[in-house]
Amino acid sequence: MFLYIFVAKIVGFLSEKFKIGSGSTWPGHLILKFDNNFIEKIIKKNPHLKIIFVAGTNGKTTTVSLLSFILKKLGYRVFYNQEGANLVNGIVSAFIKNSDIFGNIKKDYAVFETDEFSFPQILKKITNPQAIIILNLFRDQLDRYGEVNTIGLRWFNAFKDIDKNTLFVVNADDPFLYNESKKLENQKIFFGIDKKLMTKKSLSSDIDFSYCPNCQNILTYKKIAYSHLGDFYCQKCDFKRTQQLEDFSQQKIKYQLYGIYNIYNTNAVLSLIKNIFHKKKGFNLLLKNFQPAFGRQEQIIYKNRKFFILLSKNPSGFNQSIQTIKDILKNKKANFLIILNNRIPDGLDISWIWDVDFQLILKNSKNIYISGDRAYDMGLRFKYEEAKTKIFTDFKQAINEIVKKTKEREKIFVLPTYSAMLELRKFLIGRKLL
Amino acid sequence: MKNKKYFLNIGWLYPDLMNTYGDRGNIIALFYRIKKRGIKCNVLKISVSDNPSLINEADILFMGGAQDKQQEIVNKDLLEEKGKYLKDKIEDYTPGLYVCGAYQFLGKYYKAADGKIIKGLGIFDLYTESPGINAKRLIGDIVTQPFLFKSFFVGFENHTGRTYLGKNINPFSKVIRGYGNNDKDKLEGAIYKNSIGTYLHGPILPKNPELADYLIEKALEKKYHKKIHLKKLDDSLEMKAKKFLLKK
Repeated sequence: MFLYIFVAKIVGFLSEKFKIGSGSTWPGHLILKFDNNFIEKIIKKNPHLKIIFVAGTNGKTTTVSLLSFILKKLGYRVFYNQEGANLVNGIVSAFIKNSDIFGNIKKDYAVFETDEFSFPQILKKITNPQAIIILNLFRDQLDRYGEVNTIGLRWFNAFKDIDKNTLFVVNADDPFLYNESKKLENQKIFFGIDKKLMTKKSLSSDIDFSYCPNCQNILTYKKIAYSHLGDFYCQKCDFKRTQQLEDFSQQKIKYQLYGIYNIYNTNAVLSLIKNIFHKKKGFNLLLKNFQPAFGRQEQIIYKNRKFFILLSKNPSGFNQSIQTIKDILKNKKANFLIILNNRIPDGLDISWIWDVDFQLILKNSKNIYISGDRAYDMGLRFKYEEAKTKIFTDFKQAINEIVKKTKEREKIFVLPTYSAMLELRKFLIGRKLL
Repeated sequence: MKNKKYFLNIGWLYPDLMNTYGDRGNIIALFYRIKKRGIKCNVLKISVSDNPSLINEADILFMGGAQDKQQEIVNKDLLEEKGKYLKDKIEDYTPGLYVCGAYQFLGKYYKAADGKIIKGLGIFDLYTESPGINAKRLIGDIVTQPFLFKSFFVGFENHTGRTYLGKNINPFSKVIRGYGNNDKDKLEGAIYKNSIGTYLHGPILPKNPELADYLIEKALEKKYHKKIHLKKLDDSLEMKAKKFLLKK
């Protein structure tokens, strides 16, 4: 073990220093080649280390970052898989980075986000996490992940084999997740949001679970938060949203990030904190001064313009970004830059852009700039909403044009897919990632 | 505008259940291109709880693809309630577009990975089979040459089922790149009377506006009993998007 970690640490160091490959995945990749049971060994060596997983389609990176932030505030030593490296090699890399060369980890908590597809594989290696947070489940990269249902059922199948003391923190505003997790023997905490915040008038085109998971009848929603999240019930059987959930409606929480989706992420974290540390109050103090993770409502100043980046990589995420921008702008107008790539981390299929309700931002837009590998397809999407756009196949040209056409201090809302976000940050900041 | 006397009703089957792969874009494209010709248009959503006779009111029909679970719910509703209405409309030459899962439903049966046979509506002379649990899913960009048009069509396919056509139906296209109906005969989709079945997501109509206009023309001709020539629209952006995929 000693030699592996030593070599892998050097690889990680060199790859970060000389910016070759990624320091957050390469060491793990390398170690797994030598020893496929590395994770099992290192957790055995560090029985004091508590592990928390965060799963879901959207919000993982923010949730991991917020949970780590709060655990640190509570005085614990924490590490997590940075840069969103959420495959097995990313988790191994995080272990290596935070252990000494003998494999000793002087931390109390490891908080890991997990890729939807790799999650069952990771759970085979780590079978006794302290807790698992399940944020949501939406359609995403259908050409890579396959059907949403299949992804969900693979998770719950894997949950059957994990330690019965693992605590589950589950979004109960999601009918599928609620129904499946009800069946688990483990202790569960359900979270949701205050019903007063569910103001959407009708179900959007990005919903995946419009039917009762129990009897297949179409579900009725008394209130809708977004996508298929809301206050649902079935008219045929007794399936309905539970009353027994943490929504923090009585606590006057000062949420640090914009958007309903971040209220969900925050409530997930607070539900866990409330439960494991028996905390009843003082939540605002814990949340105070939390800074968003890279590319998630992150503002980057470039040539004195404020580029406000909201990663938007699937229909429900994109619709939430749009809703959030509307909430920020109200009746004001702003410039938008939308960058659509379809590289491996984005998913190759771009059909999903037709499930996004772009017409909602048209009233708030001065100019809409479009770029990315599939700029013409995004341009077409807007054309069919009767909107005028400026298309630049090279995003750097789009940014130059935006700088020319905007005033100093002006805010530009940027909505990129994953690979586009990384590329954009690199350009705006002048270096890679963190 | 004189076209104001025309009106088209787009019947959208199961929008809440059969819309997983962005297929809503086909409705958006039809609606936009009908409106641009100064023709009045309405989208009629028809789902499980709706009266099946609503189908009779549609001038163009559309149905998209979904996950297995949703398809199971829809298949039940089609076999028990709405299938016979849909069959009458298709037999009566009502133009329609049926993508992926919807295309498979119109055939005789679907044999699932576990060997289970799921009955179809039997309107199209075809059947679909999944070659087994470990079968490769047919995923990727696809380029085809439709027999009805001079231009190439582009899209994205993502399906496990392999569809095989019978004698009483014609293929819609020849595959230039990608898989199509199955991974053997290099054919894509099917056309029967004025109904087209296809595996092309993308979605197909905004990317290939020729087909959207074809369906609109057929619908007007059937409804108003005369030859229709639609005004040309500026499709330069559509062609740029298409060219990008053709060049790849």
